[in-house]
Amino acid sequence: MARGDTPMTRWLLNGQEVENPTGMTIMEAAREHGVDIPDFCYHPGLSIAGNCRICMVESNRSPKPIIACSERIADGLEIKTDSDVAVEARNSVMEFQLINHPLDCPVCDKSGECILQDHSYTHGPDRSRFVEDKNIRHTKELGPTISIWGNRCIVCTRCVRFCDEISGTGELCVVERGDRAVVDVFPGIPIDNAMAGNTVDICPVGALISEDFKFEARVWNMDRRDSVCGGCARGCNIEVETLDGYVKRLLPRENLEVNDWWMCDHGRYGWRHLYSENRLTTARTANQELEDDSATSTLADFVSRAKKVAFLIDPFLTCEELSLIHGLSSSIPDSIVGGWLPPKGTAEQFPSGFTISSAKHPNRRGAEKIFGSKVFGKDGKDLLKALDSRKVSTLIAFCGGPAEEGPGSSWSEAIRKARKRIVFSVMDGDWLKGASLVVPATAPLEKEGTWINEDGRLQRARSCWKPGDEPFCPELVRLQQVQMACEIRTRCLSAAGVFRELAENIKAFSQHSHSDLGDGGLPLSRRRARVDSKGGTR
Amino acid sequence: MANHDDASEKQDETRTGTTEPRKKASFALPVIKGLANTLAHVLRREPNTIHYPEEKRTPYPGYRGEHRLKRDELGREKCTACFLCATACPAFCIEIVAEEAPWDDREKRPRIFNIDMMRCIYCGMCEEACPCDAIELTPIYNIPSRTRGEKIYDKEKLLSL
Ligand code: SF4
Ligand code: SF4
Ligand code: SF4
Ligand code: SF4
Ligand code: FES
Repeated sequence: MARGDTPMTRWLLNGQEVENPTGMTIMEAAREHGVDIPDFCYHPGLSIAGNCRICMVESNRSPKPIIACSERIADGLEIKTDSDVAVEARNSVMEFQLINHPLDCPVCDKSGECILQDHSYTHGPDRSRFVEDKNIRHTKELGPTISIWGNRCIVCTRCVRFCDEISGTGELCVVERGDRAVVDVFPGIPIDNAMAGNTVDICPVGALISEDFKFEARVWNMDRRDSVCGGCARGCNIEVETLDGYVKRLLPRENLEVNDWWMCDHGRYGWRHLYSENRLTTARTANQELEDDSATSTLADFVSRAKKVAFLIDPFLTCEELSLIHGLSSSIPDSIVGGWLPPKGTAEQFPSGFTISSAKHPNRRGAEKIFGSKVFGKDGKDLLKALDSRKVSTLIAFCGGPAEEGPGSSWSEAIRKARKRIVFSVMDGDWLKGASLVVPATAPLEKEGTWINEDGRLQRARSCWKPGDEPFCPELVRLQQVQMACEIRTRCLSAAGVFRELAENIKAFSQHSHSDLGDGGLPLSRRRARVDSKGGTR
Repeated sequence: MANHDDASEKQDETRTGTTEPRKKASFALPVIKGLANTLAHVLRREPNTIHYPEEKRTPYPGYRGEHRLKRDELGREKCTACFLCATACPAFCIEIVAEEAPWDDREKRPRIFNIDMMRCIYCGMCEEACPCDAIELTPIYNIPSRTRGEKIYDKEKLLSL
């Protein structure tokens, strides 16, 4: 029997005959048929350990229940996941797991997203027969960002396997035996690899705690948005969790094409500058602060009166924002566009194939698709030269990076030579002194739009702001308002609407739309075959 | 607590009174009984009215008045900032910000604990939800204030009640 070329196995799941590709584990196969088998130690990204035993099911091939995460399906195998034997087995495992568990959910940061809580609720007995004293295990720092609360550890070894297999750094190990077993680091070697934060995410309980998020918020109070990390050109898919519109933590989101289940710590903790003292949130001219609305009209005034405008773009802008800048620059005759790039960082590659890019910005590829491949190269140099020789009268510069010194010394000096300079900046800094107009800019995580990562994958980022409670007008809207003031636009569109215009104007994007991108994005050059309701492709 | 039990017993009595099997009989007897009750009150010397605020009524046990936060034997707040009261609160009037506790036996405590008494509906869900027995509704009922701001109670105020 075969589905396509894959050999298939027929087996019985809860009395129903089902078929799955040969070699699948019982757990994965059952999940394909919508039967959920609980797990603690199983993680799709890690090797199978089979040590927690919560996934036990009844089988016709064995007198005792077997574990579904490591046993594979076979022809004629009969599995029951809800028989008395299986339910009893799960119940006993849950009772066993909870024997030494402190049950301090009220102060545990995992509470609300804890697998032990969930399974205890669905599979556990509702009371404990344990009357002895509970074991105490260590609570200590394992590294600069991670602590272990040993009492909560259920020794599933997910974290240990992560450090062995994914980051390849092997800092963690299980020390002691039996009910005293707990995770620890080797003396003098803290866990500080660039992927360490993931161990906190995959810990099924609250044993590993991120110092960055500790006591910050209860997880059920936060809003979640699917977005994309702007920390480097990899563009890891992430979930942004916010409380009242403020970012509290970032979590990786599964995307097997980009980041698997992981993200790096630079990206994970790289949002603190959003709320730093030097964050720019109000617009100002050279001598006074401006209301947000009048900043837009002042900007429109500058642009409509200018004869010749130079645009300095950055690789943090979304394709939508770039498209609007493109619209402005092509409506003003003789305007020139160049780009600046932040300095290269270090690239890192991990044994699992996860890579951190040395390009510490999210959208170089997008800018090159819209303004041509030379925009950061020759065009940038030309613009720098023009600025240096004081040929530029009006400059509109963008600086969406986290650095307070802006685009770097050579650019800052050159920018100062433009007669009128309008700067969109995320951070306030000395280099902005004397600018004709300084406008607060959105940082990655606050932008609504699309980026193209280093592999040419078009992905959608979403803003962490609370709708209706924006601290200032985002560029996406401001640039459209300027276009309206210059009479090259009739109405203000959403990011999806601006993208539609972009797809009409620039061929590289013509295959795409926001709704088609879905959660995981698409390669710019390839379009996902649309599946219609009858299951056929068109 | 003892008083509370008395009250609930009394309540139970009245309840069982009403759940007796219904007789087919007429309305006459209950109506006469009711009127007799009314008459008894009319003829009673003592008025039911009290001269508030000079005289104060003692609320029945279980009365749900203003909140307070309790202290433990060492005088520290019992609350561990678990947010369960805020989660249970149907009026969303509890605001908590947690911080690390400076004591060895506890990990977390509230840095900010505000209750907006004007939004509170005095349902007592917060008391019910608290795993540490740290918040309770007192019988304090005379709660007017001159400004709205005064009705947002902070941690100090709640601990002092
Ligand atoms: S710390 Fe968490 S992930 Fe690691 S073994 Fe313990 S429970 Fe599992
Ligand atoms: S690898 Fe790059 S995109 Fe991924 S989380 Fe790290 S900084 Fe963000
Ligand atoms: S009494 Fe009810 S409404 Fe008032 S704070 Fe408690 S839970 Fe909220
Ligand atoms: S439920 Fe109790 S312990 Fe938890 S935050 Fe409220 S008062 Fe504090
Ligand atoms: S999930 Fe199967 S043994 Fe842990």
